[in-house]
Amino acid sequence: MLDFTFTEEQEMIRESVRDFAQRKIAPIAMEMEKTKQIPEDVIQGMAELGLIAPTVSTKYGGQGFDAVTAGIIAEELSRADPTGSIPVFYLVQASWGHVFNKYGTEEAKQEILPNVTKGKWFLGIATTESDAGSDVLGTRTTIRKEGDHYIVNGEKMYISGVREAYTRGGGHITIAKQFPDRGAKGMTMFYLPLQQKGIIPTYVDDLGREGISTGGFTIDNVSIPKHYLVGEEGKGFYIVHEGYEYARGLIAVICAAAGLKSLERGEKYLKERKAFGLPLAKFEALQFRLAEHYTKLSFLRLGSYWALWTYDREGQKKATRFEVSKAIAMAKMFASEWSTQAIDEVMQWQGAFGYTRECTDQAAWRAIRSFAWAEGSKEIMRVIVARELLGKEYTAYK
Amino acid sequence: MKILVLVKQVPDTSEVKFNENGVMIREGLQSILNMFDQFAVEEALRIREKYGGEVSVMTLAPEQAKSALQKCLALGADKAYHISDRAFGGSDTLATSYALSLAIKKVGDFDLIMAGNQATDGDTGHIGPQVAQFLGIPHVSYVEKIENVEGDKVLVKSLLEDGYRMIEVKLPALLACIPPPNFEYSNPSMMGIVKAKNKPYVWLKADDIDGDKSRFGLNGSPTRVMKMYPPPKRSRGEVFTGNYNEAVKKIIDVLKEKKVIS
Amino acid sequence: MIEDYKGILVIGEIYEGKIRPVTFQLITKARELADTLNTSLSTVLIGYNINDMAKEPIYYGADKVYVLDNKMFDPYIAEVYSAVLAKFIDQLKPEIVLIPATHTGREYGPRIAAALQTGMTADCTDLAIKNGRFIQIRPAYGGNIMGEIFTPNHRPQIATVRPNVFKARDPDTSRKGEIINSAPDLSGINIRTYIKDVVKTTVAGAKKIDEAKVIVSGGRGVGSKEGFELLKQLADLLGGAVGASRVAVDLGWMPKSAQVGQSGITVAPDLYIACGISGTIQHIVGMKDSKIIVAINKDPNAPIFNIADFGIVGDLNEVIPIFIDELKKVLNK
Repeated sequence: MLDFTFTEEQEMIRESVRDFAQRKIAPIAMEMEKTKQIPEDVIQGMAELGLIAPTVSTKYGGQGFDAVTAGIIAEELSRADPTGSIPVFYLVQASWGHVFNKYGTEEAKQEILPNVTKGKWFLGIATTESDAGSDVLGTRTTIRKEGDHYIVNGEKMYISGVREAYTRGGGHITIAKQFPDRGAKGMTMFYLPLQQKGIIPTYVDDLGREGISTGGFTIDNVSIPKHYLVGEEGKGFYIVHEGYEYARGLIAVICAAAGLKSLERGEKYLKERKAFGLPLAKFEALQFRLAEHYTKLSFLRLGSYWALWTYDREGQKKATRFEVSKAIAMAKMFASEWSTQAIDEVMQWQGAFGYTRECTDQAAWRAIRSFAWAEGSKEIMRVIVARELLGKEYTAYK
Repeated sequence: MKILVLVKQVPDTSEVKFNENGVMIREGLQSILNMFDQFAVEEALRIREKYGGEVSVMTLAPEQAKSALQKCLALGADKAYHISDRAFGGSDTLATSYALSLAIKKVGDFDLIMAGNQATDGDTGHIGPQVAQFLGIPHVSYVEKIENVEGDKVLVKSLLEDGYRMIEVKLPALLACIPPPNFEYSNPSMMGIVKAKNKPYVWLKADDIDGDKSRFGLNGSPTRVMKMYPPPKRSRGEVFTGNYNEAVKKIIDVLKEKKVIS
Repeated sequence: MIEDYKGILVIGEIYEGKIRPVTFQLITKARELADTLNTSLSTVLIGYNINDMAKEPIYYGADKVYVLDNKMFDPYIAEVYSAVLAKFIDQLKPEIVLIPATHTGREYGPRIAAALQTGMTADCTDLAIKNGRFIQIRPAYGGNIMGEIFTPNHRPQIATVRPNVFKARDPDTSRKGEIINSAPDLSGINIRTYIKDVVKTTVAGAKKIDEAKVIVSGGRGVGSKEGFELLKQLADLLGGAVGASRVAVDLGWMPKSAQVGQSGITVAPDLYIACGISGTIQHIVGMKDSKIIVAINKDPNAPIFNIADFGIVGDLNEVIPIFIDELKKVLNK
């Protein structure tokens, strides 16, 4: 029953992505901290290899990859880009490409997804608002039907890839309230192109992942054609969680990879750097910390793949929705925390240098820190696991 | 046009580690497709794209070299031939070339055979010329580019130490290829990897190729490796930090003393 | 019978109307081997209108020089050279054949071994006779391992040797030897290779690194194509040539003909100044036999310092100008 091996094909995928990422991404990664964008040739290289939204069907230019395979790509990108920019660029499109592929209308998929997989457009997710994050029901943006189309009004905030979609093309899968009196059953999801009248972007200067923008936009009486609906009216709340779970699984892999990569840099440093006439690697206290962080992150890595594997098993009808939610929440619960702790340790080993902008690890720290809240906070992960353990009737806050 | 590319899996020697005695640690070295061969494969695929036809790849190696052939298929090659048999164990370049030439005769008429000019492990550069000799066809080494194919002739750019020659060679011929300085090799695409699974993969044993078996493997190899050892080391000399003037003066003094400058 | 094979044969290469220096380097080494084995040393020259060069190999130690002179041999074509030389060797029956590991030698050489069905060792860095055996020493795995190779039961034993691995002796014009004009066997030669054009990419006036006594070489640390100007000033002052690491060639800062290393040219000058070169094993293999190595690099951990006689940790743009100034003082320029 236990078999911790990847398929031959997955190994080839890993090798190809690793080689590409180490050659084309790793050398320019830290530059993104200043240029604030992913170089175009990297995006095109990713597209040529088939790394953008590989979860989308081949019919729409994707690869039809399952979650585990999508995780392998996420891991290699994370190992190559300590700034977290490309991992975010990847994970958002892989997760929401998957959702769009599953719930979007045929017409919309044909129109949008090939442009996404080719690296021309950006496909993002817009649920968060200034006053509504993990609490999706607190959403204030509204959508209403008007003849054969819909009208949207509202404001989204702390959204990844706003500049990308606004300048390159593409848009965000957006959630809005359609039936205020129906609670969870009153939310509707739709694709919102950002390059149109009525959309005004804003940007926030956040702490990390500098190569990809974070911002928001106001939506002023924007008209959405019917075929842009993602899933049926009133199903948004459920679909958004499916996408989030996909993203959370990938995030857990990304966190483990970033932390383990940081420890690799740290190991090298411990061997090279001397204090009191000995290499730091000879100090037992540091050995202990290295061993502990490495062990935690290795378990995190395994747990993340297990969660993604569970996700894939749901598609094969071998796991239930609840099992998936729990597995994914468990994987993400400590992902950011353990990884940032490990990276923090590596920064500490490097002393003053570790606290400079030149240090790779501080960029990783800032990037990975975001995943403590992004795509569902670590607190919500606990709520989900507890709910699955205790039963729905004990759901917190209700 | 039917093209065959001869390839080899090699250990990745770009990140070699040594033990405390200065001996290279061979365990844990990753196996990769020889870069010269990858260039040959990519060049063959370009020719196919331009002139049509089919690209096959072939290796003579133990089973684990399958991943190298799979990579070629993932890059776009159409068919793979894997010659693998204990009978070939211990082959030197002559025995390898002989067996390859037999297999080539066996599996079909190729218009063009390509190979890397050398492999990064053995670095002999023997296989291409020797396979051509056994097949009785012309060959060109150090081919950096295939300029064009016209009828039964191919025009290639072949490097010299201080320049290059444009050589036209009649097909069938063998081209031993060397990547240009700015060669950016491709990674197999996700689509290519998925498709590779379903491409023809032909295994060949010693019995499948007709030839003189006494010329296979170690017994068929004229050369013997007597011993291997780490290369002699130059020792670390004096390294100066800081005061450049003083360092330069000191070095120039030694150069004068040794009559390197006068 | 392998006892029927006697003597050493060096295949001489003619390039641009002259015998290539590597030929003399091989003859010098072969003389040493022949004396140890107490056997004779021959050289074969192949080309067109080459009779007036035939004496030269004798000055370096050859006992006999065979001249294969034919219009068909100019320009050089692999399938012609390999066929003619294989037949010649098959008749002469030398026990050892040395071939220059030039681009051309590495092209026609292996075909000869295949035609004669004998063993061949490529790119030897040393040759020796141990207990009567001809031992061929060569690097493998990118220079990370040395191997000693021999050919027990096949003759001739063929080895190629890179230029500058051995030093040529000073020519002795009083040395006597025999010159034999040999009629090449051209039967069955079917030419299917046509040379359309020969283009030289070396910069006019630039000194060739394989012949220079001093090489100032630059790597990534030089920073740009223009950065090599400074290296050239230093090289000019020392009467040397400018070399480059693979990276500098890949980046287009220097031509391929200036590339030192495994995939470039092997050099062994009296003085090698490595500027901004970290010192990959592939680079080191190509220059480690230089008499004196000076390395200038910003990174104190650069591996180049492990093999350099003198290292300066610092910015080459600061160090080289000092070097130039100090040299000018010493050289009174």
